[in-house]
Amino acid sequence: MSGETRTASAPPSTISSPGATAAEPGGRRRPALRYLGTPLALAAVLLVLYLWVSGQTLDSIEQRTMNWEYIHTRVLEHLQLTAVATLLVVIIAIPAGILLSRPGARLLSPVVLGLANLGQATPAIGLLALLTIQFGIGFKIALVGLIAYAVLPVLRNTIIGIQQVDPALIEAARGMGMTRGQVLRRVEIKLAVPVILAGLRTALVMAVGVATLATFVNAGGLGDIIVNGIKLQRTPVLVTGGVLTAVIAFLVDWLGGVTENALRPRGI
Amino acid sequence: MFDTTSGGARIELDGLTKRYPGQAEPAVDGVTLDIPAGELVVFVGPSGCGKTTTMKMINRLIEPTSGTIRIGGTDVLAMRPDELRRHIGYVIQQIGLFPHLTIAENVGLVPGLLKWSKDKIARRVDELLELVGLDPASYRGRYPRQLSGGQQQRIGVARALAADPPVMLMDEPFGATDPITRERLQNEFLRLQRELRKTIIFVTHDFEEAIKLGDRIAVLRESSRIAQYDTPARILAAPADDYVAGFIGSDATLKRLALIPVSVLSPSTSTSTSTTDGLPQIAGSATLRQALDAMVAHGRQEIAVDGRVVTFAEICATVTGEQAGVAGERPVSGVR
Repeated sequence: MSGETRTASAPPSTISSPGATAAEPGGRRRPALRYLGTPLALAAVLLVLYLWVSGQTLDSIEQRTMNWEYIHTRVLEHLQLTAVATLLVVIIAIPAGILLSRPGARLLSPVVLGLANLGQATPAIGLLALLTIQFGIGFKIALVGLIAYAVLPVLRNTIIGIQQVDPALIEAARGMGMTRGQVLRRVEIKLAVPVILAGLRTALVMAVGVATLATFVNAGGLGDIIVNGIKLQRTPVLVTGGVLTAVIAFLVDWLGGVTENALRPRGI
Repeated sequence: MFDTTSGGARIELDGLTKRYPGQAEPAVDGVTLDIPAGELVVFVGPSGCGKTTTMKMINRLIEPTSGTIRIGGTDVLAMRPDELRRHIGYVIQQIGLFPHLTIAENVGLVPGLLKWSKDKIARRVDELLELVGLDPASYRGRYPRQLSGGQQQRIGVARALAADPPVMLMDEPFGATDPITRERLQNEFLRLQRELRKTIIFVTHDFEEAIKLGDRIAVLRESSRIAQYDTPARILAAPADDYVAGFIGSDATLKRLALIPVSVLSPSTSTSTSTTDGLPQIAGSATLRQALDAMVAHGRQEIAVDGRVVTFAEICATVTGEQAGVAGERPVSGVR
């Protein structure tokens, strides 16, 4: 399946985020200073972009895109799409992953994972086109496309995160008299948290990228700027759209890393 | 919960059988065994003989196909499994400490399941850490990965003891540790057991460990059939058959000597009148095996123990005397 070659579906064990640096041996917390590197670098990139664009003389076509209000709106749209899609992915994929990790769902699990794989393997642009033919255009359609694309890493990491919990721990927990529900809540899910969060981080970064396609279903976002740049052959516009998208992706990944470190249970 | 005497409860297994579908031979075939309260019984046998399966049926991690289990007179199979397990200590080879919980949270887990108050749990945790020789103040807030293997297994034992269960099941608890740590853990565990007198079922494939720890040993063959069930001394002196003899190995007499402290030789039996001057010395807490070892090492027929002389002939006499059934009881002290 073509999806197997993509970032999130290939690794057999756990899926880490692109550029993930959080998985240090022993899981010790990094000193706060090391958290500052990424934001500082991104701020520098934005500054360079600003200085470079300021140095250009923009024609009237460029000015229609390259103004604060337009950019501001597109960035907000982009963030909104990403955030809502990710939230829905969390609501769908984590409970589904937990259910599918239960011994009773052993037969169902490959089927659902296959579907999720399909969602990711299908080119997002194609999926959006199909959805548009059937259901029209707009924010909701863009969301459906994003969710179909981002469900897999969270779903798969939830299942894997729970399944990779040392069977000896589960035996010890059962042997001490925990009920199955207590084992799930107090041991399995807790120990799966780092893996689930890594999946979520992957999903977030992917969502930022795929959200640029929302422009084709008239749902706005930074895709508008990029497409303007391509169609009108205006390099400063194209570069601005591209760089902003990349900066948001890095920022989201960084936030994901910080969250992972904060939420990872102490001791593991 | 269970009728207990002196900290432990009697365990009675009757016709305990486990069959897995699709297998011709039962994994466990009709085990009938009576384990007195407060005794440590070792199940010893080769890998795959069903000893762990037999043990796990007692806390119902594996449900028996047929047969009965009574603990302190209570029919275990009529109880809710989760409730039952909260009253049976359980220690496994992989230890199974929860890495995301502190030492105190790990140890206090079963009392928590039994809804003890927070104060009571905290007091109990400190008491248990003291008991296994780890300073509560410096260990209770640590995480398992910050502890060595030996310390982790001590916590594993403390956790199993937390709710003061009358019965403990231990599945090769010291199997994964290095020989020095294992020996230390065994000694500490013996000391603890002398104090607590729990009824313990201890599974191992290491016959030396069985001799050292067991009040009684059940030597198991395939399908958990009992080849011999007796005290270590009597199994060593009179193995029931070739299977048991094979398990003991060719140094049964030496193993028996290791069970007997030199203090059993009363001064009056000493035939030698010579002084202890110039003889190799060993401590009064040593075993006859250690005494013999010292003799061989120094090429002497006599050695000095606490200011008196022990001869080679005396040691030999102890063994032949035991064969007649004089000293079947396992010595309480003096074993390494």
